[in-house]
Amino acid sequence: MRNMIMAVCGKGGVGKTTVAAVAARELSRLNDMKALVVDADPGGGLEMALSIRPKKTLNEVRKELIEEVKEGKRDERDLTVSLDYLLTEALTEVGNLAFLSIGRPEDEGCYCKVNVLLKSAIEGLAGGFDVTVIDAEAGIEQVNRKVMGQVDYVLLVSDTSTKGIRVGETIQQVAHRMVRGEGAGLLINRVRDEGAVDSIKASTFLEVIGWIPEDDTVRSFDEKDISFFDLPDCPAALAIRKALVKVGLLTGKK
Amino acid sequence: MGLFDEQLTEVKRFLSEARREGKVREFRAFSAPPWPAGSSLVLEEDTAIELGNPKTASLSILLWTEAHAIEDGLISLVGPDVGEVQDPSLPFAQVLMARGSFEDEYESYQELRDAVYDTRLSGLMVRTRPSRHSMWCRVAREALEQGFSLRYLGAAFVKRLKEATSASGVEVLFVTSSPGDVERLSGAAADARRIIEAMMKMYEEKNFDCETCEYSDVCDEVMELKKIREKLADEKAV
Repeated sequence: MRNMIMAVCGKGGVGKTTVAAVAARELSRLNDMKALVVDADPGGGLEMALSIRPKKTLNEVRKELIEEVKEGKRDERDLTVSLDYLLTEALTEVGNLAFLSIGRPEDEGCYCKVNVLLKSAIEGLAGGFDVTVIDAEAGIEQVNRKVMGQVDYVLLVSDTSTKGIRVGETIQQVAHRMVRGEGAGLLINRVRDEGAVDSIKASTFLEVIGWIPEDDTVRSFDEKDISFFDLPDCPAALAIRKALVKVGLLTGKK
Repeated sequence: MGLFDEQLTEVKRFLSEARREGKVREFRAFSAPPWPAGSSLVLEEDTAIELGNPKTASLSILLWTEAHAIEDGLISLVGPDVGEVQDPSLPFAQVLMARGSFEDEYESYQELRDAVYDTRLSGLMVRTRPSRHSMWCRVAREALEQGFSLRYLGAAFVKRLKEATSASGVEVLFVTSSPGDVERLSGAAADARRIIEAMMKMYEEKNFDCETCEYSDVCDEVMELKKIREKLADEKAV
């Protein structure tokens, strides 16, 4: 079984984090599967949705490594093993789930070697897990630049707005070279009228893999800041689960 | 004279004292059947015991010598083995001592170090932080149930170091007894790290201006580093 890496992308505010949080909730119930969940959104929305406090962020790991380089420690093998150590230390674990947060970017600086090593180390780390879910900031370029070179599947999330769908289409076009195979699909969120799904299907070249009904339970969890790990099997959660099964995430296979 | 004479003496002194206090158990690497190799990611929920967790004392030291007395295949353990305690976390020090003919110190170091990094056992997750000379291991519950012990890790290091490098003999020391005992080896660990860094700098930068070098104090104390410096300076001059 090859480990599957899925990035959740889409226009801001369409519900990417909700989808990623429900994915985490579903994966946490599959005890025989090790899952890595990466919050690649500097806003840290996913950690809030899951009530997780990251021990250390990727940006902090990056800073520590830069300090080592500044101290004159430049040997690549030593830096690589140091990164494995720091990344493992940065994981916040909840059962079979390990959570990694990108954190707020500070001084970017010109440390290409560190960035390359960091990306390679995350890819190596992800290789030990059965599945990896990345909650991306918007498009996949940021994932490609800071998290990992390629993913298996881009789950495009959009609400029913034309703007959201167009952003999804743009992301898919840009994402093409960063995705292994042809994996990308659209999951439509906050659907009030099923007819809207048919209209979207007729107007986009994206493959629509499912739709999520507007759901008061999800809204209430968001408003009251309750962990999505505790989300009951509400209609939205069930719809997301169905989509995740369809793309192969819950079996770890693509 | 060798690069690590002083550190080896310090480690041997630690061992002698621990022996006198009856704290040392000894195993022979060659009598242990090999533990299966394999890269492992061990999550907290699958962990039986952690060694050298970032929040506790941890050390990893690699020393090599051409002359010092190294007892090939000897694995010494000061403190409990992984299956002998209820505590989910133990402090940890690991000292690997290799004997052999190490003509090119730079290449020898890289060979030895890579052999250590490449020693991976099934059910054991190892993370190393060379700049802090620390090492953090997680032993999976399943591995412990199957009988994993530090003896297997020691035996794997002995085998791997001898296979992958020019080492003719390898001795291993593990310390799990207390943070204080681990701390007693920290001076040797820090000094060994500085010697390695000084040696690496000489080989990589080929700059022999002692006035500006942050390692000049190390070279003043370690005769072997001076010899390396002279050798490399001569090579550069040719």
